[in-house]
Amino acid sequence: MFKVKRTISASLVVVVVLSLAPAAFAFQGKITVELNMGQERPRLAAADFRLANVDPQASPLNTVFNETLWFDLDNAGIFEMVGKSFYPLQTPSSPVELKAPAWSNQPTNAGLLAFGNLGVSAGKVDVQGWLIDVKNPTSPPVLGKQYREDATVDNARLIAHRFADEIIARIGGGIPGIAESKLFFISNRTGAKEVWSMDYDGANQQELTHLRSIALSPQVSPDRSRVAFTALTKDSWQIMMYSLDLGRTVSFPRFGGDTFSTAWSSDGTKIAFASTMNTGISEIHIADASGAGARRLTASRGGDVSPVFNPKTNGQIAFVSGRTGLPQIYIMDADGSNVQRITDQGYAVSPAWSPNGLLLAFSWIRSYGPGVLGGADIYVMDIASRQIVQLTHDGGRNDFPSWSPDGRHIVFESTRAGNQQIWSVLADGTHLQQLTRSGRNTQPNWSYQ
Amino acid sequence: MLSLCFHALLGLSIFALGFVLEPSGRSDWGNNPGDAVVAQLVSGAPIPIPKPDVPTENIVANESKGVTQTVPQPRPVETTDGITIPGHVIKPKAEKVVTATNIKPHPIPTPETAVPYGEGGAARGPYSSFSAPNTSGGVSAENSNFGGKYAWYVDAVKRTVKDNWLMYEIDPHIVAPHRAYVDFDILRDGTPDNIRLVQSSGVPTLDQSALRALHRVDKFGALPEGNRQTFEFWFDYPPK
Repeated sequence: MFKVKRTISASLVVVVVLSLAPAAFAFQGKITVELNMGQERPRLAAADFRLANVDPQASPLNTVFNETLWFDLDNAGIFEMVGKSFYPLQTPSSPVELKAPAWSNQPTNAGLLAFGNLGVSAGKVDVQGWLIDVKNPTSPPVLGKQYREDATVDNARLIAHRFADEIIARIGGGIPGIAESKLFFISNRTGAKEVWSMDYDGANQQELTHLRSIALSPQVSPDRSRVAFTALTKDSWQIMMYSLDLGRTVSFPRFGGDTFSTAWSSDGTKIAFASTMNTGISEIHIADASGAGARRLTASRGGDVSPVFNPKTNGQIAFVSGRTGLPQIYIMDADGSNVQRITDQGYAVSPAWSPNGLLLAFSWIRSYGPGVLGGADIYVMDIASRQIVQLTHDGGRNDFPSWSPDGRHIVFESTRAGNQQIWSVLADGTHLQQLTRSGRNTQPNWSYQ
Repeated sequence: MLSLCFHALLGLSIFALGFVLEPSGRSDWGNNPGDAVVAQLVSGAPIPIPKPDVPTENIVANESKGVTQTVPQPRPVETTDGITIPGHVIKPKAEKVVTATNIKPHPIPTPETAVPYGEGGAARGPYSSFSAPNTSGGVSAENSNFGGKYAWYVDAVKRTVKDNWLMYEIDPHIVAPHRAYVDFDILRDGTPDNIRLVQSSGVPTLDQSALRALHRVDKFGALPEGNRQTFEFWFDYPPK
C-alpha cells in the first residue's frame, strides 16, 4: 500500500527477533536476525507451468495462462519478480520435482516460487498450482490449488487470475487481489459515448449501453450489480442506472434540473450526486440508493460537483467547488457540516478516495493561467497530514483517477498517447500502462471487488 | 625574448599538426557500424556493486579461543647477581610452581546463538526483511514453531503493520531513541484482536502511533494454522 512517507528513502537496520522452530533447527531459543539491505518486497519466481499431457489444445492455453499469471503477479505491486533468465533450467511441475536450493540460492535468490502444471482432457482444462517458500522448503506449502474449467482461452485467463489473486491475498497481508475486478468507462468507438466495461488489464472490452446519446461518469455499485451514469435525455442531464445482472438500463427517478456525477457509498445504501434541482446552481445532494429521500448538502454560489464518499467510513464526502473562483477540492461530513478546503491553488478536480480512506487522488493543474506551463496531473494527498505526491509527470492531460479495490493501483484518463485513453499505474507511480487504444476512452471507474 | 620565440614556435607547431593529422575531413558521428560497447565497472559506481558469490575453500580463522587452554609460561626468576645496595637486603622470591591443578580456568562465554561445530547447517530465517523509511521495528511470534513454519505469514504481518504506521503522528522533536512494545493476537480469519501496549516508550505520541498502526488493520489474512496467534511488535523511533 502506498504511503506518502515513503518519499523519504532510507535503508535502516532492523532487528527482527523470531522464535524459530526447535524441531526444525539445531539450536533453540530466540534468534536475532539483523537485516539492513532494505529488501522490502518478497522475491517471487513464477516458473512457467508445464504441460501435464500432450493434448494439442493444451499448449496455447498454457501460453495464455503463463502470460496472464506473470502479468497479474508483476502488476500486483507487492512482489519483486525474479527475471526468468535467472531460473534453473529444470522447472518443477509438482512439489516432488522441486529442488528448492536451486531456486533459493544465487543467482535466482527467490524467496517464493509459484509453479505447477496444466493439462487438457475431455474438453476440460486442469490446472494444479503451488506456492512454496523455497527458503524454508521443509515448511508446508504456502498455497496449493487445483482448478478445472472448460478448455477455453477465457477460462485459462480466468484460472490464472484466480491463482494470482490467491497468491496476492496470501502474501499481501490478506488484501484480496484485483485480477478479477472490472473497469467501467466511457468510449465513443461505436460513434456515440456509451458505457463500456473491461477487465483490469484491458482485456474483454464490452459495450454495455446502447443509448446513442451521450453517457458520462459511470460509477459501479459496491456489489457490482448496477452501474450509475449520467446521460443526456431530451431536456436535461439525468442519472441512469444499468443493471449488470439484467444487461439493460432500469428505471431510476428523474430530478428537476440537471443531475451529474453520481457516487455510491461503500455500503451501497446511499448515493451522492450534483444537481441543480433546488437553486439552479449545481449543489451536492444525497439520497437513498433507490433515489428516494434526496436532500441538499451544500449551498454555495460557485457550484459544487463530483462528490465521493470516504469508503472507509462513509462519514465524509470530498467534492469540487468553485465557490472561491477556480475549482478546488473540499471535504465535508456526510451531513454537509464541517466543510474544509484542501487544495489552495490552481485547478483541482476529480477527487477519488482510496479504499482505506486515508488518501485522496485528484487531477490538478497546479499553476493555472494563460501562458503557465504544466498540464493536469494526478496527485495523491494524505488527508491527515496534507502531504501531496505527484503521480504523473509531463504526460498530456491526466484526469479522472479511480482507485483499485486493493488501494495499490490507480486508473485514470490521459492524453499522453495523443487522444484520450485509459491508463493504469501503481499508486507509487510505477508500472504505467495503457489499457485502451481504440476510439476515445474516458472517465474510468474501478469496481469495488 | 627567447622564451617568447619558443612559445610562438610551439603554438605554430600545434596548429600545423592539426592540418597534417586531420584524417579525411569527414565525420563518423552517428555512423559507427556497430562496434560492441565495452562497459567497465569501477569502484566509483553510483550503485552498490554486489560482491561475487564465490565460496572460499579456506578454513576461516576467527577470534575463538578454542576448547584448549593456554598454559602460562613460568616467569624468569630474579637473581641477586647485581650490585648490592648497602643496607638493602633483597629477599629471594619463592618460585611459584605452575601445575595443572592450580590454573584457574578462564571461562569462555558461549554466545546465545552459537552453533556447535558441524551441527548447525545453513543459517535460516525469514525470506525477506523488514525495513521502513526512517523507522525500525521488530516482531516476535510467541509460538516459536509458528514463526519457523510460516515465516512468509510473519513477514506479511510485518509489512502490513509497517504500511499502517504513520510517522507523522509522532512528535518530530523526539531525538533520543525510544521503543514501544505492542502485543496483539491474530484470530483464525486474520482479524487483529486484543491489541495492547505492553511497554510504553515514554513518548505518548509514539505509543499512540504504534497502537493506531494496529487498529488501522482490518485483517492480516487467515492464519495458516491455529485459531489464535500472539505477536509482539516493537516500534523504534527515531531509527537506530
